[in-house]
Amino acid sequence: MSEGQTTNSSKPYDPMEPFRGMRDAYLEAMAKTMTDAVNSDAYAQASGAMLDNTLSMSAPFREALEKTMLQVLQQLSLPSRQDIVGLAERFTNLEMRLDDMDASLDGLEGKVQKSILPLLQQLLMLTDTLTRLIKRMDAVEAKLGLQNARGTSQSALPAKAAKVQAASRVNAGTRKRSAVTKSAQPKKRTARKGAR
Amino acid sequence: MVEAPVMKDQAELYEKRLRTLNRVITTKAPIAQTPKEVVWTLNKAKLYRYIPVVPKEKRHPVPLLLVFALMNRPYILDLRPGHSFVEFMVKQGYDVYLLDWGVPGPEDKNLKFDDYTMEYMPRAIRKMKSISGSEEFSLLGWCIGAILTTIYASLRPDDGLRNLLLLTAPLDFSNKEDLTFARWTDEKYFDVDKVLAAFGNMPGEMIDYGAKALKPVENYISNYLKLWDNLDNPQVVEAWHSMNTWVTDNIPLAGGAFRQLIVDLYRNNRLMKGELMIAGQRVDLSKLRANLLTVIAKGDHITPPCQSEPLLSKISSKDKEAYHVPGGHIGIMAGSGAHKHTWPHIDNWLAKRSE
Repeated sequence: MSEGQTTNSSKPYDPMEPFRGMRDAYLEAMAKTMTDAVNSDAYAQASGAMLDNTLSMSAPFREALEKTMLQVLQQLSLPSRQDIVGLAERFTNLEMRLDDMDASLDGLEGKVQKSILPLLQQLLMLTDTLTRLIKRMDAVEAKLGLQNARGTSQSALPAKAAKVQAASRVNAGTRKRSAVTKSAQPKKRTARKGAR
Repeated sequence: MVEAPVMKDQAELYEKRLRTLNRVITTKAPIAQTPKEVVWTLNKAKLYRYIPVVPKEKRHPVPLLLVFALMNRPYILDLRPGHSFVEFMVKQGYDVYLLDWGVPGPEDKNLKFDDYTMEYMPRAIRKMKSISGSEEFSLLGWCIGAILTTIYASLRPDDGLRNLLLLTAPLDFSNKEDLTFARWTDEKYFDVDKVLAAFGNMPGEMIDYGAKALKPVENYISNYLKLWDNLDNPQVVEAWHSMNTWVTDNIPLAGGAFRQLIVDLYRNNRLMKGELMIAGQRVDLSKLRANLLTVIAKGDHITPPCQSEPLLSKISSKDKEAYHVPGGHIGIMAGSGAHKHTWPHIDNWLAKRSE
């Protein structure tokens, strides 16, 4: 039965349902009346007077409590609210100074970045040019090496090329000799050490 | 024979309802869940950056800073997944930042609008600019946050502010007849110095009482009856739960700022008259040049439309728009219709101006 009731209607049965419309109409009327009431000079005057009286009546107690509390805290060598407030204000001032310094640092960082950026770009361009030059030199060297190899296999070489070849041979010989002497030197030293 | 099971079912139903009621009234809903990181702090204030979900090349290059009121928690902008303005904007490709003012302590009782607009906001904005790498930015201010952003935009028009969005901005206090708060805080009835001498800061409970007392029946009775009537509807219950979590999470308002709000704005309307002095400078609204969108809630009883509309005629912005939305002070951004009306309009307006 109850299942049938809940499935047939969209909402479950509520015994208060018939009263809801009446209730809402009453509340609506009451809301209008109350809104008008609070938006009147009489209400403003009454609420102001109530607040004023409450503050006036509680002021002596509040002052006495504050004085007593201050004395107790002094006796116990504990900081008062005023002391804590003073400290907190100093902290805020310090925070502001730190924030100012942070702003200055940000500004400096920006300026440095701005001035360094063109230099970095120039450096990158130079590196690029240098890399290209090295590549070209390598290519020239490789070409020369190839020509030398061809020269040795062919008997008749042009006189100029033959001279270059001879010069390079002489250079190579010198390099070899110097390499031999360099590698031999430590051996000599060790031999001397052994003799001693 | 037939009535017994009906009675049993009714008892079970009421028991279930009471459990739900107990849960939503005594516990806090999980809120503010969009992933974020703290990128800057000063005193109690924190600047959050929401973790972007859209790749950088598809994001809007101009970051957006959200500034909420001083006396409420800002997580109303990020209430719960699927119902969060922040989540929506992050998904639309904005680099979103939120300035949370925090809870002022007794040591902050002298903080004024001067400090918030000329010390805290410029520093937070500097940090946001340095993180986002953008010299331009957008500001969104809601309620008192709208007052702060308007003051900032007028005093620092050359700081890179491109777009200013104001939500339910209480700026003009000349129409005292329509402002219940103005009536209550009139110098004839309300001694602001006496209140601040007693409390230092304006207690959150008093501010909450003031806001709720504007519509006492709706806030103290109908609100709970609406929950009772819908305890079987999980969607309504969860929405109510998260909203109640926010409404009951009250924070005090710094004494200095409260005094300025009452004396300079509610009583003397100094901002609109061009007489408001902030950090030694006169706030001249005609210096505000940023693109402006002001969202006005037609049914707002806290900030009636008459408080937001007059700004348009005072500023120098060439690109300005007033967008009227049906709804209340909070409902236009956090209500069930917000994602259909207010959020898409803000996104459409801002997207064109954030490239």
